[in-house]
Amino acid sequence: MFKAILYTQWKWSRAVVMLSVVIAFTLPIMSVQRAGITEPSRWETQELLHAIEMWSVWYTLLAAGLGLLVATTAWAQDHRGRHVYALSLPIPRWHYAMLRFAAGSLLLAAPVVALWIGALLATATAQIPPGLNAYPNALALRFALAAFVAYSVFFAISAGTTRTAGYVLAVVGALVVTQVMMEASGMGGGLVEVLFDRVITWPGPLEIFTGRWMLIDV
Amino acid sequence: MSNVIETRNLRYRAGRNFEIRELSLNVPAGSIYGFLGPNGSGKTTTIALLMGQLRASQGSITVLGQSMPQAAPRILARTGFVPERPHLYPTLTVEEVLRYHASFYQSWDWRRADELFGRFELDRSLKLSALSKGETGKLMMLLALAQNPDLLVLDEPTDGLDPVVRRAMIIAVLDYVSQRDAAVFISSHLVHELERICDWVGVMDNGKLVAEMPMQTFKSGIKRLRVTGAPALVEDPPFVLLSRDTGETLGAGEVWVVRGWQTPMQQYFEGIGASLREVVDLDLEEGFVELLRTFRAPRAQA
Repeated sequence: MFKAILYTQWKWSRAVVMLSVVIAFTLPIMSVQRAGITEPSRWETQELLHAIEMWSVWYTLLAAGLGLLVATTAWAQDHRGRHVYALSLPIPRWHYAMLRFAAGSLLLAAPVVALWIGALLATATAQIPPGLNAYPNALALRFALAAFVAYSVFFAISAGTTRTAGYVLAVVGALVVTQVMMEASGMGGGLVEVLFDRVITWPGPLEIFTGRWMLIDV
Repeated sequence: MSNVIETRNLRYRAGRNFEIRELSLNVPAGSIYGFLGPNGSGKTTTIALLMGQLRASQGSITVLGQSMPQAAPRILARTGFVPERPHLYPTLTVEEVLRYHASFYQSWDWRRADELFGRFELDRSLKLSALSKGETGKLMMLLALAQNPDLLVLDEPTDGLDPVVRRAMIIAVLDYVSQRDAAVFISSHLVHELERICDWVGVMDNGKLVAEMPMQTFKSGIKRLRVTGAPALVEDPPFVLLSRDTGETLGAGEVWVVRGWQTPMQQYFEGIGASLREVVDLDLEEGFVELLRTFRAPRAQA
């Protein structure tokens, strides 16, 4: 049963997964090459770290995009058929949702492994200056966690009905409107900022996206 | 277990203008139950309730001796379901759909699936999006039958299909029933089709079950009578007078459509000074139309 679900999900999201594999493999290699580490005579530590840091945003974007696309393709076909097929299958709904979730999670492994191999290759071929260290395992783990968090969030949202998505949007819209009104009335207060901070800083669920995504660091 | 499907006082509201009300269905074991009704009468909504896809606001549903939706997975494992609209994943090929579907059913019968493949002449390599309406219908029927179900629930399975495909599907269902002694719950507004295969009939109109009886009773109980000399007002007839067409032409008489007719009732006409000239059997479609007409205007008597 899981194998069958995994196959369907692979078929629906294989283009996204394969493209992610290529990008994930290439990103660490490019980040090192563009930083110029292969020519040790030309570097300065500060500039090098800055150059490496410039690439960190691409890891977060890739993880978020991968999670979003794999999650939405997991449910797209069921939405199209109004879930009639899924609901006519002889398994509980929670079980079906868990199987779909597990299948998507497994598909995320391919880009994660690609990034890990790319990071290992990049650091193996680079001459890292004294005082700096390579963190290919940590980077791959961070990428895996970020992709999984993004996938989980978008999976939960896309598993719901259009009405549910509407509620989520309404809550976000209400927050923004409240913020604007508070500012306009001179009450001050950064409601959205506070909430945003709570979400993206530890122990917020999206903290994983805002940490240091450094392949080479002190 | 005498009934494979039982509902009691089922109620479900869909939007502001439509409601299933006080629905009490009884589908006997081993029967082929035709679920008739005009478009929008609530047939598909009722089936969605029976399959656990919608939740009733009131009442109870028992399918194959178990409560729906509480026991939905166990019930669905023994039920072959063909919905009104194609529900399978259009991006998969026929072969892929088959393997996907089979993985959910322990009772799946590959031999039957292969046999039906040959009979329905389906191409395993085609994507579902490339199948014609008839081929999609045949594939959905194949999936339902290869599950080896104890109950088949078919929601307008042949609607919009050509006669050749319709015939192939009906024969496949009848073959299956004769081998497995399964029950079939089939909805349709193609009355002639059901007349040939069903032994029980239920009629829905506007969210209510108007009638439920053995097909033979339904067909034999509704007659068209040709009557002459009847008074303008008839009182307490021993049958239900569904309609009365008084447009008498050249002494041919009035046409009455009645329900619950039995031969000894002929004497009633002598009692009211009228004469019964002819008793004509109605086919299911005529009976169906007259029944709905009565339901919508219960006092048809002149």
